[in-house]
Amino acid sequence: MMKTNGNVKIDETSVQESAEEKPDQLNPDLENEYCEVKVENLNFFYGSVQALFNVTVKVHEKGVAALIGPSGCGKSTFLRVLNRMNDLIPGTRLEGKVSIHGENIYVSNTDVVNLRKKVGMVFQHPNPFPKSIFDNVAYGPRIDGLKDKAVLSEIVETSLKGAALWDEVKDRLNEPALALSGGQQQRLCIARALAVKPRILLMDEPTSAIDPIATQRIEDLVRNLCNDYTIIIVTHNMQQAARISDYTGFFLQGEMIEWGSTSSIFTNPQDNRTEDYITGRFG
Amino acid sequence: MKTAVLKKGFLIEKKKSEWRSHELIGFWALRLTLFLVLFILGVIVFDIVSKGAEVINWEFLTQPPRLGMTEGGIFPAIVGTFYVTLITIAFAVPLGVGAAIYLNEYAVQGKFTRLVRMSVRNLAGVPSIVFGLFGMAVFVKLFNFGPSLIAAGFTLGLLTLPVTVTASEEALRTVPRAYREGSFALGATRWQVVRTVVLPRAIPGILTGTILGLARAAGETAPILATGAAFFLPHLPDSVRSQFMALPYHLFIMSTQHHAISQVRPIAYGTALVLLILVCLLNLSAVLLRKRYRNRVAKGL
Amino acid sequence: MVSITEKTMRVIFISCGLAIIIFLAGILYILLSNSMPGLIELGLGPFFAADRWNPGAYGEPSYSLLNMIYGTLMVTLGALIFAVPIGVAAAAYLAEIASPWEREFFKPIVEVLAGVPSVVLGFFGLVVLAPLIARAFNLNSGLTAFNGAILVGVMALPTIITLAEDAITAVPKEYRHASLALGGTRWQTIWKITIPAAFSGITASAMLGMGRAIGETMTVLMVTGNMVARPESFLDSVRTLSAGIAIDIGDVVFNSTHFHALFVAGLLLFLITFLVNLLADILIQRKPEVNK
Repeated sequence: MMKTNGNVKIDETSVQESAEEKPDQLNPDLENEYCEVKVENLNFFYGSVQALFNVTVKVHEKGVAALIGPSGCGKSTFLRVLNRMNDLIPGTRLEGKVSIHGENIYVSNTDVVNLRKKVGMVFQHPNPFPKSIFDNVAYGPRIDGLKDKAVLSEIVETSLKGAALWDEVKDRLNEPALALSGGQQQRLCIARALAVKPRILLMDEPTSAIDPIATQRIEDLVRNLCNDYTIIIVTHNMQQAARISDYTGFFLQGEMIEWGSTSSIFTNPQDNRTEDYITGRFG
Repeated sequence: MKTAVLKKGFLIEKKKSEWRSHELIGFWALRLTLFLVLFILGVIVFDIVSKGAEVINWEFLTQPPRLGMTEGGIFPAIVGTFYVTLITIAFAVPLGVGAAIYLNEYAVQGKFTRLVRMSVRNLAGVPSIVFGLFGMAVFVKLFNFGPSLIAAGFTLGLLTLPVTVTASEEALRTVPRAYREGSFALGATRWQVVRTVVLPRAIPGILTGTILGLARAAGETAPILATGAAFFLPHLPDSVRSQFMALPYHLFIMSTQHHAISQVRPIAYGTALVLLILVCLLNLSAVLLRKRYRNRVAKGL
Repeated sequence: MVSITEKTMRVIFISCGLAIIIFLAGILYILLSNSMPGLIELGLGPFFAADRWNPGAYGEPSYSLLNMIYGTLMVTLGALIFAVPIGVAAAAYLAEIASPWEREFFKPIVEVLAGVPSVVLGFFGLVVLAPLIARAFNLNSGLTAFNGAILVGVMALPTIITLAEDAITAVPKEYRHASLALGGTRWQTIWKITIPAAFSGITASAMLGMGRAIGETMTVLMVTGNMVARPESFLDSVRTLSAGIAIDIGDVVFNSTHFHALFVAGLLLFLITFLVNLLADILIQRKPEVNK
C-alpha cells in the first residue's frame, strides 16, 4: 500500500518537473529533441474511467500519421488530447506530457484558443455552420478580427482551392453550406480549418460518413496537403491507413500497441495483436 | 380471432369482438375528456366573442372612457398594457437569456447550476399575488418608484423570468453540439462560439419563449394591483414613473368594482374580448414561429 | 482584448444566474422581514385563532387567517377533484391513443386554454357560471366555493394535461412492447403498465396543478364571493388567502399591523406553494428505472 502510494507520488513529481522544462534547441538530448507532436506517458481519464494508458508517440516531421484500432480503443480521445477539445467534456483528467512544436500544451498558461488555431480539426460528421459557404470559410479569420473584405475573399479562395473545392463552389459562395453534398461539406470543413492557417491538421474518421467516390477525393486531398501540414488521421479503415499514411499507430483498449512507419506496421508488425488486427482476426 | 387473457390464474380465451369493443368504449371515454376541454374553451370563447363583438368598434379602441366610465372606450388601458409590457421585456429578456446562456453554455453542471435551476422552477410556482406583495414592498416602497409603470413592469418581469429562462435554455439545447465543437476547433473563444454560432441558431426559439412569457404577463392582474395600475386616469402615462390603466385591471374593476356594474357590462365584455384577442395573437405568433423554426431545423437549415 | 471581453461576458452571465437565486431568496426575505413585526407584535396565535379576519374593526381588530385557509383548502380540493381525473384521462389519451392529427388538433386547444388570462376566466365565472349555479342549487348568489373550484380546476387542467402527458410519454417503449407481446390489449397495457410506471410523474403533475390552484388569485377573487365567515359547504361563499391579500393590498396603510398581517398571509401562501412545488420536483426527478 505504502509502496504504491510512493510510486504514484514519484510519477506525479516527474510529470510536474518535465512540464516546467523549457525546450532546449542547443542540446540535442533525446528528451528535448524537436518534434511536431510529442506525447509522453499520457494517461487520460473520463471521471474515474481511464481511457488512455501510458501512450508515448513522437511525430518528427510533416506527413500523414494514421491511428487505427477497433472502435472504443481511445484513438479519437487521443486525437482530441492534441487540441485540447477534451477540455469541453467535464470531469476529464490527464497525466503526462503533450508537446506541440516543443511546447507543453498542458501547462496552466497555455493559450487554448491559439493552440486550436495552430492545430486544426476535421470531424467525423461534416459540421458546416448553418451559414453560407463563404461565411463558413471566413469564420476563423473573422473571429480573429479580420474585416477587410478583399483579404477575406482571398483567404476563402486559397482555402477552398487548398481543399479542392473551389471549382465546384466558386459561383455559389453565398449559398447555404448545408445545401452541399456530404463529401463537399467535408471538404468545406477542411477548407474552413485551412483558413485559420494551422500547422497541424487532426482528422477524426473524416470519410466514415461519406460515399466511396467522395472518400477517394478526400484521400487525394490528404496526400496533397501533407506536404505543408502535419496530418494526424483517425480511421477504422485499414486500407485507408495503408494508402495515405507515412506512419501508423495501432491502439487497443487505450494502449498504443505499436507505432512505426506504415510499411513496417502493415508488412512486418512486431506485436501479435497488431498482426491479428490488420489481418482481420478481430475488430 | 381469439386472444388469451389471464384471469384468476386460469387462461380464459376471449373473443376478439369482445375485447375490441371494451377497448373502443374505453378509448371513447378518454376521448370525451378532450371534447370536454374543447367544450369549456368553446363556451368561454363563444360567450365573450359574441357579446364583446357588439361593443368593439373604432371608437371603443381609440377613445378614453367617459361619463364615469359608463361610456367611451378603453384606449388608455390598451396603451398602458402596451407600455408595461415593454418594461417587462426590458427587465425579463436580458436577464432570462443571460441566465440560460450561463446554465447551458458556461456553467460546469454541479451544485450551483442545480440551485439556479431549482430557483427557476420555484420562482415559476410563486403565486402571482405574492409577486404583487414583493413588488409593493421592494419597487414601490424600498426603491421608492411609487405606484408606477416601472414598478409594475419590474414585478411582471420577475413573474415572466422563469418562462424566459426555461424557453431560452430549451432553444439553446437544440443547437447541435457539432456546431460548438466546429467553432471551438477553429480557435473561437467561448463568447465567440455563443455569439456567432449558438445565438443566431437559437434566437427564434428564444423569441418564441419570450412571446409566451409576455402573453402571460399581459393578462396578469394580481401583481399590478398595488404596484401601479390605476382605476381611472384622465390622461395617458407620460413617464415610467406614472401610474397607468391596464386591460386586465380594467376588466376586473368594470366587472366587480364599478358603481353601475350592470350598466357597464357591455364595456366589460368588450375589454375581455380585446384582452383575449391580444393574448391569443401573442400565443398564436409564438406557435407559428415555433412551427416555422422546427421545420427549418428538420430541414437542417 | 479578447480575454477582457471574454471575462466580462462570463461575469455577466454568471450574474444573471446568480440573480435568479437572489430573486427567490429576496422574495422569501421580503416576506419574512415584513411579516416579522406583525408576528412579534401579535405572536403566531391570533393568526390561527377561531376568529375572523377583520383588521379594520374599530377598537379590536382581528387577524385570523383560519377561515381563509379553509377557503383555500376547499377551492383547491374541489379544483383537484374536478381537474385530476379529467386531466390524467386526457393526457393518457393524447399520449397513448390519439392519432397524429388528433394530437395536432387537441394540443393547441389545451395551450390556448392555458393562455386564457385568469381575469377573463373570473369574468366568465361571474357573469355566466354564477347565475347558472344559483339557479341550479336555488341560491341567492352563485358566488361560491363550488364556482371557484370549477374555474380554478379549468385553470389547472392544462398544467396537469401537459405534464402528465410528458410523464406517460417518458415511459420506456420496452414496457409497452413487453405487455403487448404477452397478449395484453392496448387498454390493459395503458392501465396496468404505462400509467403505473408513470405514476410519480402523474402525481407531480397533480401537485403542480395544485400549486397553481392554491396561488390562483383573480379568478377566485371574482367568483367566490369573498365572505370571511367560516364556510359550511361548497355552496357557501369563501375567501381564499390569495384573494384576501388582493382585496386589502390596494388600500392598506404602509407599515401598519394590517400591512404586516398581509405579509404573514403572503408568507404562508409562499411556504405552502414552495413545499408543494418542491415535492413535485422530487417526484419528477424520480424517473422510472430502466434496467439495461
